[in-house]
Amino acid sequence: MTGRSMIELIGIEKRYHSFQALADLNLTLQEGEFFSLLGPSGCGKTTALRIIAGFLEPTAGIVRIAGQDMQGVPANRRPTNMVFQSYAIFPHLNVGDNVGFGLSRSGLSRRQRKARIEEALAMVALEGFEDRHADALSGGQRQRVALARALVMQPKVLLLDEPLSALDKKLRESMQFELRRLQQSVGINFVMVTHDQYEAMTMSDRIGVMFDGRLAQVDTPTQLYAFPANRKVAAFIGGMNFLPAQLVGEPAGRLEVMVAGLGGLDIARNQGVARHDRELVVGLRPEQLHISRDEPAGFDARAQGTVTDAAFYGETVHYHVEIAGVPEPVVVSVPNHFHTVDFKRGDRVWIAAQGASVIDLGARTDN
Amino acid sequence: MTRLSRLMPGLRAYVLLYLVFLYLPVLLIPLFSFNDGTVVAFPITGLTLQWYGQLASEDALLRSLRNSFIVAGATAVFSTMLGLFAARAYVRNRFRGQRWSEGLVMLPLVTPVIIVASAMLTLFMLIGLRPSLATVVLGHTFLTLPFAVAILKSAFEEFDPSLEEAAYDLGETVPGTFRRVTLPIVAPGIVASLLVTFTVSFDEFVLAFFLSGDRPTLPVYIWSQIRFPARLPNTLALGSLLLGFSVLLLILAEYFRRKTRRIAADAKR
Ligand SMILES: Nc1ncnc2c1ncn2[C@@H]1O[C@H](COP(=O)(O)OP(=O)(O)OP(=O)(O)O)[C@@H](O)[C@H]1O
Ligand SMILES: [Mg+2]
Repeated sequence: MTGRSMIELIGIEKRYHSFQALADLNLTLQEGEFFSLLGPSGCGKTTALRIIAGFLEPTAGIVRIAGQDMQGVPANRRPTNMVFQSYAIFPHLNVGDNVGFGLSRSGLSRRQRKARIEEALAMVALEGFEDRHADALSGGQRQRVALARALVMQPKVLLLDEPLSALDKKLRESMQFELRRLQQSVGINFVMVTHDQYEAMTMSDRIGVMFDGRLAQVDTPTQLYAFPANRKVAAFIGGMNFLPAQLVGEPAGRLEVMVAGLGGLDIARNQGVARHDRELVVGLRPEQLHISRDEPAGFDARAQGTVTDAAFYGETVHYHVEIAGVPEPVVVSVPNHFHTVDFKRGDRVWIAAQGASVIDLGARTDN
Repeated sequence: MTRLSRLMPGLRAYVLLYLVFLYLPVLLIPLFSFNDGTVVAFPITGLTLQWYGQLASEDALLRSLRNSFIVAGATAVFSTMLGLFAARAYVRNRFRGQRWSEGLVMLPLVTPVIIVASAMLTLFMLIGLRPSLATVVLGHTFLTLPFAVAILKSAFEEFDPSLEEAAYDLGETVPGTFRRVTLPIVAPGIVASLLVTFTVSFDEFVLAFFLSGDRPTLPVYIWSQIRFPARLPNTLALGSLLLGFSVLLLILAEYFRRKTRRIAADAKR
């Protein structure tokens, strides 16, 4: 990342008749950044991506790519290329002609084009696939062809609309790393749309979380996980227990809170959230909670409760624990170290937390 | 089918009878075209190819055949071209008055042809267009457009719109995208449309009868011959050829129509 801004979206708005698909979208992407737009279905991710690509005109607002205003510049003249969700491999052409499709207007000689095609196919580990027909490709290979076809154009920005959603889980996970590696080796901006939080977190430098046509938060994966801007973001990314709390004191940069069930805790102040009064909500990640049969030592807060449910997930086991004074059962997840499910429904257990893992989510009424 | 036929035991027989009544007369035509007697009646007295042989020396017939090829060829090209743009618009875009527009295009399928024919003749006379092969082509284009639109609509419905977007995104122009992506992918649909509209036009009688003036197409020529009993065997031979030709074209058309489906389905995989 060199710090120059590559894409600027300023006050973007998109309306379909009376329906507001995007509202007041402001976003600046640095050169070389891998950026993801993350959000639930229908929140406007594809709309935003298509506005950058030039397939849609925003109702209001400015799109700048590499400092240039894109108003009136159609998709075929923008320095962006897109990998479509369906991959859109031309069914009547072979792999080489698919990848070389966009080069025919580039003024390159036949030999130069051939070299560029080979280079692009090598990038996606499909050397020698030029003559393979489009219908003789697996899902993963189709995706690589779509990538090569876009990258061969040497765009400033590569746009990807849910590029991995059509692949099976195993392939998806290996492609996550490959896409990331590819982006780092070509060094151009990738803007990816996804509704899969893990995909967004493993691949992106920064993530923009969207709800209902609005950007709720733009941050790095770790910041997003540790300091969600509100309860909605907190619930969308990872698992989260929400507990009511009372604000007791505000020492410099920190908060003293009384958390329902757990008692007094000293936690970090979250700069991104709103606060009106002493009524707060705090968040606790299931994997950051401790669970044991005997009262644990060395934790900032603890509470006793009853197991209401145990669920085996393979790599983790989830326990639901009912605690007096807490409205909802608290979810605790523990790594599956020894192939055992240690607690069953009805067991009396202790749960415990450190103040450092408790997340300030601001005013209770706001959420 | 099995459950239905158990519920209604007579259904199978009904369907069989229905098909026999529908197609038996048609099948009699080729049969009697090989009969060496001039009377169309059983028993068949002997087999001959002479009626077919005589066709080649009929000048009027050959002229009408040429007329039919001209008319059907032009009609197929015009209605397929119009149908191509209409079908793409209907499938890809949503616009005001779309349903009305689609309904209007399909109207010729349900309008009595005799009404259309007399209306067209009146209209052409009014604007000073004399009946000719050109007026038949106009009439037939109107009549065959629904077939073209229906076939091409199904070709576009199978066709992932992001294919066109991808081409445009890769720097291709709008006409370039149409030529390099849209056309090749719907090409089998276009061939199917050409074949079907050609066949419909080639076989059409009423409009051609009203609008062709003194240059009859093949069906109009056949009609003029039916009045002469002595000519009946020749007419039957001609009719059999026409029948065979039409069936062949429609089988080809169906083959191409399915091919579009296959290509489009491959693209989606
Ligand atoms: N052409 C259109 N006319 C009217 N509404 C539209 C149109 N295109 C999209 N929308 C609406 O705009 C909203 C955002 O659509 P968009 O496709 O951007 O969602 P998305 O976040 O990409 O969802 P998904 O994850 O399901 O792909 C949706 O509610 C959708 O119904
Ligand atoms: Mg989408």
